[in-house]
Amino acid sequence: MRSSLRNSRSIPSVRSRPNLKKPDTAKVFGKPTVLTETAKNFLAAIIASSDDAIISKDLNGIITSWNEGARRIFGYEADEIVGQSILRLIPTELQHEEDFILGKIRSGQRIEHFESTRVRKNGERFPISVSISPIRDDSGKIIGASKIARDISDRRRADESRFRLAAIVDSADDAIISKDLNGIIRTWNNGARRLFGYEADEIIGQSILRLIPENLRHEEAEILRRLKAGEKIEHYETTRVSKSGELREVSITISPICNNNGEVIGGSKIARDVSDRKKVERMAIEAEKIATTGRMAAAIAHEINNPLASVLNLIYLARQDGISREDVQSYLATAEGELERVSHIARQTLGYYRDTGKPSEVHLHDLIENVLSVYRSKLLAHNITVEATFNDLRKISVRSGEIVQVFSNIVSNAIDAMAQGGRLSISTTRIMKGEQDGLRVVVSDTGHGIRRENIDRIFEPFFTTKGNLGTGIGLWVAKQIVERHGGQISVSSSTEATDSGTVVTLYLPFHRAQSGVANGDGHESRRAAS
Amino acid sequence: MIHLAEEFAAPASDLETSESNAEETAAGQPRVLVVDDERLLADTTAAILRRAGFHAKTAYDGFGALDMTGSFHPDYLVTDIMMPGMNGVELAIAISTMFPATKILLISGQAGIADILEDSRVRGYEFPLLAKPVHPSKLIDRIRDLKNG
Repeated sequence: MRSSLRNSRSIPSVRSRPNLKKPDTAKVFGKPTVLTETAKNFLAAIIASSDDAIISKDLNGIITSWNEGARRIFGYEADEIVGQSILRLIPTELQHEEDFILGKIRSGQRIEHFESTRVRKNGERFPISVSISPIRDDSGKIIGASKIARDISDRRRADESRFRLAAIVDSADDAIISKDLNGIIRTWNNGARRLFGYEADEIIGQSILRLIPENLRHEEAEILRRLKAGEKIEHYETTRVSKSGELREVSITISPICNNNGEVIGGSKIARDVSDRKKVERMAIEAEKIATTGRMAAAIAHEINNPLASVLNLIYLARQDGISREDVQSYLATAEGELERVSHIARQTLGYYRDTGKPSEVHLHDLIENVLSVYRSKLLAHNITVEATFNDLRKISVRSGEIVQVFSNIVSNAIDAMAQGGRLSISTTRIMKGEQDGLRVVVSDTGHGIRRENIDRIFEPFFTTKGNLGTGIGLWVAKQIVERHGGQISVSSSTEATDSGTVVTLYLPFHRAQSGVANGDGHESRRAAS
Repeated sequence: MIHLAEEFAAPASDLETSESNAEETAAGQPRVLVVDDERLLADTTAAILRRAGFHAKTAYDGFGALDMTGSFHPDYLVTDIMMPGMNGVELAIAISTMFPATKILLISGQAGIADILEDSRVRGYEFPLLAKPVHPSKLIDRIRDLKNG
């Protein structure tokens, strides 16, 4: 027995010195083997080079051979463990397992991928997967067991993190979906089920196009093209369709999924339902429209009520006794002039509320002048002088009502900033911006300015520096409108005591460029203003 | 349309004369200062008040009105609110400090003056307010009410 144990010890050395002549003892479990030298060397090499622990034991559970893998996994050298009980590798509370294993072996059964816990020499416990087969002698009698054991700590860790990730993905409120490069859905979480209404098993394997409304299906080709190029698409706002056919406004972020070689094999897609947020935004835009209309109505009322008051006075005077015919004529002519003034104001200002929403060709300076005429008395009352330089001979295609709203908000901000008087300058210039021909409008005031820490936030909805007096959506709405027209708006400001003031610069193209994802930059233009 | 106000001033000699005559005949007549940056409105309102038996003068902004009070102590101040320079409420506060007996009536053509009025209320002043346009006979009635009130 002893000698055979020594034989088994020689096996690891094969690995380090493969050409070494084998010792001539060729017995296993004390029996002469029937294998040729070559075959034995071949087997010995496999056993020695295996990453798994390969151990043999007799029916009493005494270890009879121990390979290099076993040394690495358990930490014992062959000569300190061979001849010892296998129980040294098994935690005390699990030692009953050995009786069960030996029972199976004695009855000639194999145990495959049995997962349990074992102990290393240093006392560390670790998860293991073991396959155990009976060893028979020439007569077929079972004389022991071979045991192939694999340390599955890494796999366990990987499994655990995978399960943890899966749990996170499943508990997320957002829809998290993965798809391959053919647009076939591969995974589907609970959030996706809630958002789109499909169960995982009915949608996995289906095309992602089922979630995209017919008129937006061209988006998918563009998304796949960018995914294949390894690009990430962030916070792209679009519309998707649920199982019941309802449209969902979503913000989606799509990232490429790569294999170990770094090749893109698919995409992960996180979709967030922004229908509620969109609803709130639409309501805020509506509210701001009403607020702007209110502000303008108050200004218009002032412009109209003054001449009306004069007309009442003039008629009253004309009716008095003892007035000469010439005086009556004069009163009535003056009254007529005042009524013309009223109708002029009405045409100039109230006309915009007939806005049908379709762009029309107008002179931008006409719109600006009309806004100025609405705020004329307010500007006058605040001792604000107006300098306007208009250099826009060419008409521009805009929705007039909206652009009036933009300038009304900007001018009304400027007036608020110049409570102690000042100068409001407005200029329009024709410029080329990239391929686009358009107009630049610069509106500057000499007001108190916007503090540095606020300037980045002034286009945010509900951000105001005016306390309770501001709604905080005027400039945000202005930005939305300008961007819808394919333009840009920016603000710079100074709060320096000697040179304070704010400059708002707008760019509006003469014609709105064709929009859509198809032309490549559609993602940019459809993205929500942050 | 501004020039109409001047055109108007010439033929309305009737009113001009009554004002210049007023210097001699105004004794016993209640004095009214009408202030509005809308000159035509100030002029016609003053003309109407003269016909109603008041000694009326006009100013076209707050500072002009204050200057005038040096020689003309009004019994009544009828003023617009939204005016360049000094607004009507500031004028009203200044005059009621200098001449506590002066009765004040504010007239405004727009709703956007809530802040100005709130500001004066905070400072402890409250003035009656009429919305433009005001019918002349109603204006006369309100001024007479102020006298009785």
